[in-house]
Amino acid sequence: MYMAVRVLRRTVMNETTQLRVINFDCPTCASTVERALSNVDGVQNVKVHYTTGRVEIEYDDDVADPDAFAQAIENQGYTPQPA
Amino acid sequence: MNAQPITQYYRKNRKAIVTASSGLLYGGGWSLGHFTGFDTASAGILILAAIIGGYDIAKTAYYEVTNRTLGIKTLVTLAAIGAIVIGEYWEAAAVVFLFSLGSYLEGRTMRKTRTALQELLEMTPDTATVRRDGDLQEVPARDVEEGEVVLVKPGGKIPVDGSVVDGESAVNQAPVTGESAPVHKADGDEVYAGTVNQEGALEVRTTGAGSDTTLERIIRRVEEAQEAQSPTESLIDRFAKYYTPAVIVLAISAYAVTQNAILSLTLLVIGCPGALVIGPPVSIVSAIGNAARSGVLMKGGEHLERAGKTDLVTFDKTGTLTKGGTTVADVEGFDIDDDEVISLAATAEKKSEHHLADAIVDAARDRPTAATDGGTAVAHSDATSAEHRSVPDPDDFDVVAGMGVVAHTDGHEVVVGNRALLDDRSIDIPDHIAEYVRGREERGETVVHVVRDGSVIGVIAMRDELREAAPGVVAALQDAGIETVMLTGDNERTASAVAGEVGIDEYRAELLPEEKQTVIEEYQADGHVVAMVGDGINDAPSLATADVGIAMGAAGTDTAIETADMALMADDLERIPYAVTLSKATRWNVLENVGLAVLTVTVLLAGVLTSYVTLAAGMLVHEASVLLVILNGMRLLRH
Repeated sequence: MYMAVRVLRRTVMNETTQLRVINFDCPTCASTVERALSNVDGVQNVKVHYTTGRVEIEYDDDVADPDAFAQAIENQGYTPQPA
Repeated sequence: MNAQPITQYYRKNRKAIVTASSGLLYGGGWSLGHFTGFDTASAGILILAAIIGGYDIAKTAYYEVTNRTLGIKTLVTLAAIGAIVIGEYWEAAAVVFLFSLGSYLEGRTMRKTRTALQELLEMTPDTATVRRDGDLQEVPARDVEEGEVVLVKPGGKIPVDGSVVDGESAVNQAPVTGESAPVHKADGDEVYAGTVNQEGALEVRTTGAGSDTTLERIIRRVEEAQEAQSPTESLIDRFAKYYTPAVIVLAISAYAVTQNAILSLTLLVIGCPGALVIGPPVSIVSAIGNAARSGVLMKGGEHLERAGKTDLVTFDKTGTLTKGGTTVADVEGFDIDDDEVISLAATAEKKSEHHLADAIVDAARDRPTAATDGGTAVAHSDATSAEHRSVPDPDDFDVVAGMGVVAHTDGHEVVVGNRALLDDRSIDIPDHIAEYVRGREERGETVVHVVRDGSVIGVIAMRDELREAAPGVVAALQDAGIETVMLTGDNERTASAVAGEVGIDEYRAELLPEEKQTVIEEYQADGHVVAMVGDGINDAPSLATADVGIAMGAAGTDTAIETADMALMADDLERIPYAVTLSKATRWNVLENVGLAVLTVTVLLAGVLTSYVTLAAGMLVHEASVLLVILNGMRLLRH
């Protein structure tokens, strides 16, 4: 099932990646990061979970630069880590 | 030379450094003004404190505004700027410092709950020793292919999921099952990545590596569970959508009426629903994280909140209260050899998958061989070794669900089943046999009759040992004010004997599998919140019907995890009282946090409107309440 989803995503040229931010200090901060990430070029879909600090990003491989994700998070004052 | 580490240190600890600097300046500025009267210098230092502490806050506030969200940072920034504008430098510095300190502490404490699961993942070793191309190679654990053989040294951690192909050892499976008593592993047994090989060397054929291991799957599920909103959380979220704008309207109207800018700024700051929004998720995340470390997978806040209301727990008897390894205790032939009774029954039951059938077939195979085996030894895959008897196939057979089987062999009709089946087929049970059966049943044994061509030729008494923990578990639930009920397909007398041994409040006997669901529905109709404990596969329908389905021994069986609201990774009944009391504690904890948040805001609101509470004091109490609900929620990590 998981594999099937991955294959499907590949065919529409989207990749997914995960990061983790362990120093969110309020739920709104998570929403702010979510919005900042969705403004990064090529990002299709973002979900930021305040409680676990998990950041899920779905992006277009041709357009988006994964390094920009970490930068966008740092710009908001939070420290991203590999999930 | 040293610039690199210093920058790194700064980046890592920026929040702490900023907070500390702002705090020092704030203290210095305040003392200067208070003790010396250098007002201008004091004002300058206080403004500096506000700027240093407030820069990051204002930056985020800017993003909040450009993203059209309205968060506390926007409100704090507004309040600080407002305070500076009207000359209240001390208030401005205090608000900024207290907010920085509060959010620094919040971030730090939340980190603890966020990393609780990471510790589990770190259990998995990074590399694995694999047999490749005829020799041993050390490779990254996630690169091991399915089917490859991995070597695990004694004392080493197992890097992949797989089955043992060589060696014998005891494995501590605590990271997966929460159960630290070592489990014996030999040829063919499954082992999990992240568990610890304690004694002998093992060779393991890989079935999953990297992100495709049981531990990784469990952790993914746990995180999804933590992220799923509970009903309380969604309620609060919906409430917050209206609440924050309402606070702003209130602040503006307060200014319109009183012309007191500080008052309305204070309203803005204390009106933030901080503790209210943070409290319930922290409680639930902590509880789910704690459960995960004890080998209990909670499917999410919703399930947890429901489980917290449980007032009645139903147990499936077989395999739950009992060990599930039913064995034949006695075979009694009436005017016929015992051996013939068991072998006839075994033939009839051979194709059935019922656990009683397995016990009968095993018992027939294990009987000492009389003379020689027939040359027609069955060539079945289940390895009937030489000294075991062979059990011939029946010519045909039918399962009568919940009652027994009817089969034909060698021109005879053989019926093996309970009294209901015999009654159904109008087979007469002689008094002395009925008497014998009653005696066995009163000892808690399950008895089946063996009937050949319409007359009862013997009975087989079977016993399923009670789990040692069962009486204690039932007592612990009763102590927690929870009713306990046992559900079983066994007859009244056997059920009553077992129920007596366990000390359970109530039992329902002679239930067909689908009737267990009906019983649960009846209890629900009586207003009970019912939890059902079962094995996840046979009991899946009842688990789904119950308000809270608890599957036991779920590690490795994804179906059980799907159907259940809670899954016990280990086959350990003693986790049940823990899971139920943790749910109850969580429910209270959520209520406490909501109560605390509402109380704080109400008191602060009253305090501000009556001018008892200033901006800085309001901020202090607000931040303290947020920290308090986080700490309260985190108590559940140590339940």
